[in-house]
Amino acid sequence: MIELSRRGVRTALVCSEPFLEMARTQARVFGEPDLSLLVVPHPLGGIPVDDVRARAESALPGLIRLAEKKEQ
Amino acid sequence: MSELAAHLQLPGAGFEADDDFDAVNAHCLERGWTDGLPIVPPTRERVEHMLAYCQRPWNEPVGALAPRYGAATPLAVAANAVMAGCRPEYFPLVLLALEAMCEERFNLYAIQATTHVCAPLLIFNGPIARELGIVSGHGALGPGGHANATIGRAARLALLNIGGAKPGHGDMATYGSPAKYSYCAAENEAASPWEPLHVERGFAKEASTVTVIAAEAPHNVNDHESVTAAGILKTMAGNMSIPGFNDIFQPVSQPVVLFGPEHAATVAAGGYSKADVKKHLHEHARIPFNRFSDENVERRLRKRKKWVDAPLDTLVPICRAPEQLTIVVIGGAGKHSAFIPTFGDTQSVTRALARADGRDALSIAELRR
Repeated sequence: MIELSRRGVRTALVCSEPFLEMARTQARVFGEPDLSLLVVPHPLGGIPVDDVRARAESALPGLIRLAEKKEQ
Repeated sequence: MSELAAHLQLPGAGFEADDDFDAVNAHCLERGWTDGLPIVPPTRERVEHMLAYCQRPWNEPVGALAPRYGAATPLAVAANAVMAGCRPEYFPLVLLALEAMCEERFNLYAIQATTHVCAPLLIFNGPIARELGIVSGHGALGPGGHANATIGRAARLALLNIGGAKPGHGDMATYGSPAKYSYCAAENEAASPWEPLHVERGFAKEASTVTVIAAEAPHNVNDHESVTAAGILKTMAGNMSIPGFNDIFQPVSQPVVLFGPEHAATVAAGGYSKADVKKHLHEHARIPFNRFSDENVERRLRKRKKWVDAPLDTLVPICRAPEQLTIVVIGGAGKHSAFIPTFGDTQSVTRALARADGRDALSIAELRR
């Protein structure tokens, strides 16, 4: 993810709430503290496929905002 | 004054605390620098003493420990080895184990950060393990063996303090593992009917090696009745045929079969080589589709092209090929063995203790500075 970001690819990391702190720490470790993070409700595993789709749909507007923000 | 001694006096090279066991422990515990147990205060003198068995430059990392990618310099590792209670002569083994964990195929980043319960299992082979008294017989996996307890603990403290594997922050293991305190043993080569692990992997018998394996805690296999190889292997295969561990789903997985010496002797007496045991267990430790949940069948097993339309009595092997099984003989008397699943997306790494000239070290004295 960090490597993609460094290569100029617009990048956002999708993670659920319990992993947010770790994601922030890792972004700092890899020297990209401002890496865009897109937080979705936990969990992602062990839920019906329709619920996974619902999470993706709910995250989409945020993803679009991040993409637009990066473009500016 | 040596360069090291001068470095240790620099501001920031260490920390100041009252010269008191309880004060140092309170300081370290408060900062999250321990595994929760008391530590030996890593004083300048103790750290220097630890480095007496390090022929590498004390400030050149042997690797970067994920997920923080902290530099595992001999100096930093030595501080953790002191805290763990290691004797200086154990230090080359701690360093070697960490170096092995930094090989890419071990996949340390994922092992440290995962929600899975794996911990690096350190298995030592060769004469130096015997010289240092690393326990391979009764209680090899604990408690009691000083070298086993402190070498494994030193590796854990380095993974915690240099690697940043703080539970809930850099180590997301759902419920952790008792194996994360220390997970270290020697193979019982004297009681094994087969070639030792390091010889099987191409090292000289006289070499002293560590093998690191990202493993779950052991699950016991009790068989007090079988008197034949077929019987022991049937019980073992039965214990291995369970649907909820990682190895089944990962192409490179190397699940571990730990034989107690008595079970190993019975199996070998039936004419089974290690390769034969692997072949037999791979053929018999299989799980039918219908023992997996419907969701696991649909969302995992059927992702493999050959199983898209497979019937529900299709048998799933616990790893892709017999050679992927790892067999070791550990323990003392008794009719017990163990199955040890792994993280799955990892390959174990074996490395030998080498002298400065690159030759195998035959004694720990050869590794003194």
